[in-house]
Amino acid sequence: MGNTVYATLTRQSGLMKEMNVVANNIANLATTGFRSEETIFTEFVVPMGRDNGSMSMARASAHSTNFLQGSLTQTGGVFDLGINGDGFFQIETPAGVRLTRAGSFSPNAAGELVTTEGYNLLDFGGAPIVAPLGASKIDIASDGTLSADGNPIAQVGLVIPEDLTDMVREDGVKFSTQSALIPAEDASVSQGFLEASNVEPVQQIARMIEVQRSYEMGQSFLEKEDERLRSIMTLVGGR
Amino acid sequence: MNALKIAATGMAAQQARVDVISNNLANMSTTGYNARRAEFSDLHYQQLTRAGSISAADGTLIPAGVQMGLGVRPTAVSVNVAQGALSQTGGDLDLAIEGRGFLEVTLPAGNSGYTRDGGLKRTGDGLLVTSDGFPIVPNITIPEDVSSISINPDGEVYAYFADRVEPEQLGQITLAGFANEKGLEAIGSNLFVETGASGNAVVDTAGENGLGSFRHGYLEDSSVDAVRQVTELIEAQRGYELNAKVITAADQMLSATTQIR
Repeated sequence: MGNTVYATLTRQSGLMKEMNVVANNIANLATTGFRSEETIFTEFVVPMGRDNGSMSMARASAHSTNFLQGSLTQTGGVFDLGINGDGFFQIETPAGVRLTRAGSFSPNAAGELVTTEGYNLLDFGGAPIVAPLGASKIDIASDGTLSADGNPIAQVGLVIPEDLTDMVREDGVKFSTQSALIPAEDASVSQGFLEASNVEPVQQIARMIEVQRSYEMGQSFLEKEDERLRSIMTLVGGR
Repeated sequence: MNALKIAATGMAAQQARVDVISNNLANMSTTGYNARRAEFSDLHYQQLTRAGSISAADGTLIPAGVQMGLGVRPTAVSVNVAQGALSQTGGDLDLAIEGRGFLEVTLPAGNSGYTRDGGLKRTGDGLLVTSDGFPIVPNITIPEDVSSISINPDGEVYAYFADRVEPEQLGQITLAGFANEKGLEAIGSNLFVETGASGNAVVDTAGENGLGSFRHGYLEDSSVDAVRQVTELIEAQRGYELNAKVITAADQMLSATTQIR
């Protein structure tokens, strides 16, 4: 009896996982710089012996991150930076350099720009960006050049990994990558803006309904299969 | 099933956002108030299939892997330190700060508090205090028989007397600045105290180090932008409802599971 039930079961557990992904996207509707994720199902073919051909199962095997631009919201904060185009800020964490698009920075007591978690924002060379204390006006140009009272001081390093698929998500809207980082040429910085999450609520809800209904369909299929097996058993047993 | 818990973190986050917005709107007319903004980040990830693990004997690597996010968490409620509009009050002890400086006051415990609320008053002894009665630093005492007070943009306080032509300088109000204003801890009553994140106060005369200057006879309005707050409120409310929808859907999937047989 196994095959029908197991094929459905793989599908059901995959749908359960996808539901979690959808729930996570919706929960991060208001997370600055969040990139929505999608589940990719792949076929898993099991040979069934010489005369029976094969059976294919669907399993959630990979994830893809949607790197579409999120909308920029004006906040007016001096150190709120939104990225326009493909690029990431480099931040220094205890585990190494990480990438993020959440541009809500603030100076710490030493004047270094840090994320909400306290990690340093880096320039192209990997040195922390420092906003001089006591400067009356700090400007950050679209190429990331930070100037205090009109004097350029540092440049925020916007980078992009050579292989965009080689990115592992970490908490705090961070990504880690093994791939080489190259300067992001078609990305620019907007001072006083933050990039909103790129989760599309309508799309997510539609996906959620689809997942839910497919799951219920799978369940009713399992139920029918159960009834079928039972009727066979009564038939065979009743003779 | 994680979807239930994930959606719950989403609802909690939107709830926190509504709390922050309602506090901003409640302080729409508070002198020197700066709008707050709730910031969120994603929670940790479950790595079900690690990206870069080997999928075949010839060393083929899995490019993306399966990662399950576990929801959202609030990371900061940051103060958006922005200059509010100045409104003319004509009060002879009303001071607005144009710039990023703060007035320093002595709190009852003896430590220093910082405020941008320049609606000053005087006590029975003539001491210059805030609306809550905390004396400003440096202490300035106004004699009983003054006819009028004038405070110049540098914070020098002059008293005019009915029987004299020349004014008398009573003292100079200084300003305090911080490397990171967002790191200040709000203690209510328009007051902040310094923290390790804000850095120590740099006290200087007005006009120095970008601290700004005084405007006598003006008060700084709250910098809350009602339109923006209401837009955010709508977003937060819809976000809350969407998360609630996920809980309903997840619940129905669970109930389908229990009804198989």
